[in-house]
Order: sequence, then structure tokens, then C-alpha cells
Amino acid sequence: MTALLEVRHLSVTYPGDRRAVNDISFDIDAGETVALVGESGCGKSTTAYAVMQLLGPDARVDRNSRAVFDGDNLLTHSREAMCRIRGRRIAMIFQEPAAALNPSMRVGDQVAEVAEVHGERSHRRAFEKAVTMLERVGIRDAGRRAYAFPHELSGGMRQRVVIAMALLLQPALVIADEPTSALDVTVQAQILALIDELRRDAGTAVLFITHDLAVVAESCSRAIVMQGGSIVEQATTERLFAAPKHRHSADLLRAVPRLEVAP
Amino acid sequence: MTRDALVSVRGLRVRYPDRRGWRRGRARSIFAVNDVSFEIGRGDTLALVGESGCGKTSTARALLRIIEPEAGEIRFGGVDVRVLRGTLLRRHRQRTQIVFQDPFTSLNPRMTIAEIIAEGITVHDLAKGAERERRVKRLLDEVGLASVDASSFPHELSGGQRQRVAIARALAVDPEMLVLDEAVSALDVTTQAMILDLFTQLRTQRRLTTLFIAHNLAVVQRVATHVAVMYAGRVVEQAPAATLFSSAKHPYTRALIAAVPAPDPRLKRQRVVLTDDISTIALPQTGCPFFARCQHAKKDAACSSAVPPLAEVGADHVAACVKEAR
Repeated sequence: MTALLEVRHLSVTYPGDRRAVNDISFDIDAGETVALVGESGCGKSTTAYAVMQLLGPDARVDRNSRAVFDGDNLLTHSREAMCRIRGRRIAMIFQEPAAALNPSMRVGDQVAEVAEVHGERSHRRAFEKAVTMLERVGIRDAGRRAYAFPHELSGGMRQRVVIAMALLLQPALVIADEPTSALDVTVQAQILALIDELRRDAGTAVLFITHDLAVVAESCSRAIVMQGGSIVEQATTERLFAAPKHRHSADLLRAVPRLEVAP
Repeated sequence: MTRDALVSVRGLRVRYPDRRGWRRGRARSIFAVNDVSFEIGRGDTLALVGESGCGKTSTARALLRIIEPEAGEIRFGGVDVRVLRGTLLRRHRQRTQIVFQDPFTSLNPRMTIAEIIAEGITVHDLAKGAERERRVKRLLDEVGLASVDASSFPHELSGGQRQRVAIARALAVDPEMLVLDEAVSALDVTTQAMILDLFTQLRTQRRLTTLFIAHNLAVVQRVATHVAVMYAGRVVEQAPAATLFSSAKHPYTRALIAAVPAPDPRLKRQRVVLTDDISTIALPQTGCPFFARCQHAKKDAACSSAVPPLAEVGADHVAACVKEAR
């Protein structure tokens, strides 16, 4: 079976020969949840942004890099071709829902816009679809809430809206960039459970980008550990937690705050 | 309660005008902090725990006189904080210092880190000239920034280094109490662990009393000696840290403990996932504020008739739940 996304020899350089990502290769299978783990600045977000062609103009992706999805190399796609893929085949969930949403647009319209950009001609139909999706991500009374502006919702609710936008068109892959780091632990638990449930229903593959190994343990079947732009370890979550092979993985594991509760 | 309390808060209330609706600010208002009482013993670390909007930051700010409370008594070293003015208020500001959550926004981007740290020393007239420079140097050493150029600007530092600068700035005026307001939640886990270690070390060396505000109980467990759990502006449970983590009584505390993700893939804990979040549910006019989200299968009339008072449930351990009171 071929992988859903096949990244090969990906390298990204910033001006001044600063290498953000250094010759990394990995696969994601359909329906799989994989974590890209590491500290800030290790290149995990740059990797995801490179695959989505969302890097700024200074970033240079090495010419030998490939990211094969649906049989095509995403890195050589034209702008137009990429626009057809983003949001429909591959979607993203960002860390800061307040920054990912348009503050002057009602949330229902923002979710509906995803369908409209990808061919839905009727705003009414798109809006109805959006309301259904908002309901599915756990927003109660979605028909009314769809008319709210982002600032009228709590952080957890806003992240649900972002998730609704990402999952509206049932993409094959969702890239979630620190989706719960800005949220309370209680809301984090809800959001992780929600992503997992929606993934199981729709068979979506999820790439979690995170620094928090507790999130990895909770949600991912496999983990890719990065340090200084390179992959230092790839393993199933069970194996990584039971016996980390690389020193950096062990350091990350040790740093996770654990709650010791007496039985 | 405690032997030698540095901080003592009784019946604290903080109220903000409600900005919603056409009569904004007039008819309704919201109690961010409602009848909160606690003490912090000298050298202790009290953690204030709860979700966003529960009133923990407002409580700390009232203590520092950043905001003015509506009612209640705040004593710091025996002195009534609410009536302080002029020189005495400045003295209070020197004795209490705060480190904020986001080191990207809490440091002035146009000042060098030496200037940032020296500012408090100058304002409180603690040292001048070469002596002030020596102090800044010593503080940088103390927070583990000995190798960093003091003339660099905040944007040249990493998140962890910036938070160290914020700690050095707080320590520069030799405070007795430090408030850490979610001071590690914006950091990477590895950086977080290092900052917590630094804090533990400084606390012992300088004999600091600390108010530690956080929502992640795993972090709280590493540093706190005492814990107060807040919900909807009220303290719902309070105990020494060891007691709270071994025998939490309030259903909200138990839910908070269950929400901490376990860094172990084999352990799929049965999580008491709290549904909704506090901002989306209407708080009951009477009765227990936690009523709508409570896990207790049988909620009875006592739950909805009055706000449960904090009652003793063990040694030095109080909880506001009618189901747990003895």
C-alpha cells in the first residue's frame, strides 16, 4: 500500500544559510494519527508549512525535496493547484483560534466560505452545511451561534469553529499545529476527544504538531521526533514511551509534567 | 489556619461591569471574585487553580493593588493593603512582584534587558551607578543568563530566556512575595521544566512566599505547598498540596485532575471530561455554581437551594460541596 503522504528529502533554508529543516523523510498512511514532536524552533511547523506551500517568500525549499500526495508532488504544484487542495484534500487547524478566524465575519459565514471557495454556488446551502458541521463539533444551539462573531465565543468554542472549517469537506489529511496549546486542560481534553472521534468517523489522517508528549500519548499511534531540523527518532507511540532510543526523545519525555495521584 | 501568615485575604470581592446588552455597565455586573478567603504562610507556595475566567488572576491583581476590589480585607505582613497610598503603596509594590504569562508581551521591546532589570532598582531608589550595574549582573547570573549579553533586546532571546529576564526583573527589588501568573504555560515542556527548577531553587535561596496561578495541575504539583481551587469566582476546595492530590473531595477538583493528559500511551484513563466550558453555561441564580457540570449522579435539593459553604472535610482541608461535607 502506498502512503497517503510521502515526504522525501525535505530541506528548507532561510536567508543566511540557516537550515530550518534538514533532509527529512517520512510517511503518513490513510486514517493514521502521527505526531511531529519537538521544541520550538526544531522545524516541525516549517515542515508542515512547506508541505502546504504556506512558507514566506524568504524560505527556500530544496529542489530535490518531494512531498507526494494523491500521486503528485505538492512542492511543484502551481498556486492554483494548491488552492484546490488546501481546505478540500488537506486542511489545517492552527494553534491560536483567535488569530486563525476573521474577527469581522460571523463564524457560520467563515465555515461556509470553505465550501464556497471549493465550488458551492449557493450561500444558503453552504451556510446550512456549516451549521450542521458546527453542531457536529459540539457547538450547542449551532443555528444561533453561527451568527456570532469570534470575540463572542470562548477559546474552546473558537477552536471548535476552526475544527469545523478544517473538517467541512472531509479532507484526507488534517494538519493540526499545536491545536490545544492555547487552551485550558479541561478544554484540551474535550478538543482531543473531539478530533479523535471525528477522525474515526471520517477516516481522516491527522498530523499533530506538538511539543507536548502527553498529547502524543493521548492521541497518536506513531511519533516522529525532531531536533535542530532533523528527525532523530521515529517509532510507534508505545515503543517511544517504553524505550526511547535517542537522547533527545528521552529528554522530552522526562520534561513532561506528570500528575501523581494516589490510588 | 496557618501559624505565620504573610498574606491574609478575607471575603474578597471583585466586580466588573457587564459589557453586554444595551444598558451596558449600568444594571448588571459580574462578580469575578466572590467572597474569597485564604492565607499564605511565609515561605509557602499557594497555587490558585481553575479554568480561564474563574477569577484567579483578578484575585492576584487585587492583592497587588493593580485593580481595586469592591469588598473584603487584604493583609500583607499585617498591613491593610486596601488603604495604602503614596509612599506606603510604593513600598507594597516593592514587596510584591509579578511575573506574567507571556514573556513576548510583558517586556518592553525597546529596552535592553539590562535596562528592563535596572528599572525597578532605579524607581525604588535601591542602588545607583556601578552598584546598580553590579546588581543587574548578579541577577542575570542568578536566573541563569550569565552568558547572555545584557545589552541585547528581548526579541533576540528565546521564550525561556525572556521568562528568565521577567523573573530577574521581579527579583531586582528584593520582594518578599512573588506572583507567578501562568508564568510557564506559554513555554515548551522542556523550557517549562527548567523554569520550574529555577523557580524552586530561587524560592529556597531567597525564602520567597509565592502565589502560583495555573490551570495545569501537573505543573502545580511540582511546586505548590498548598492549593486553592477556584470556580466561577469562588474557592471550592483548599488543602495542603499532598492532601489535595491524594484525596480531592470536590467534583470539580476531581474533574481537573482527570483532565490532565497522562504521558503514557498504555494508560487510557477513564477521563471525567468536563463538558462545556464555564463561559457558555448560565450560572444558576441560586445554588451551587458547579451544578450544571457536576458529575454527581443524584443532585438533590440542597445543591440547588443555596451556595454550599466551604466546610471542613479533613485536617486543614475544606471543600464547598454538600455531598462531601461531614
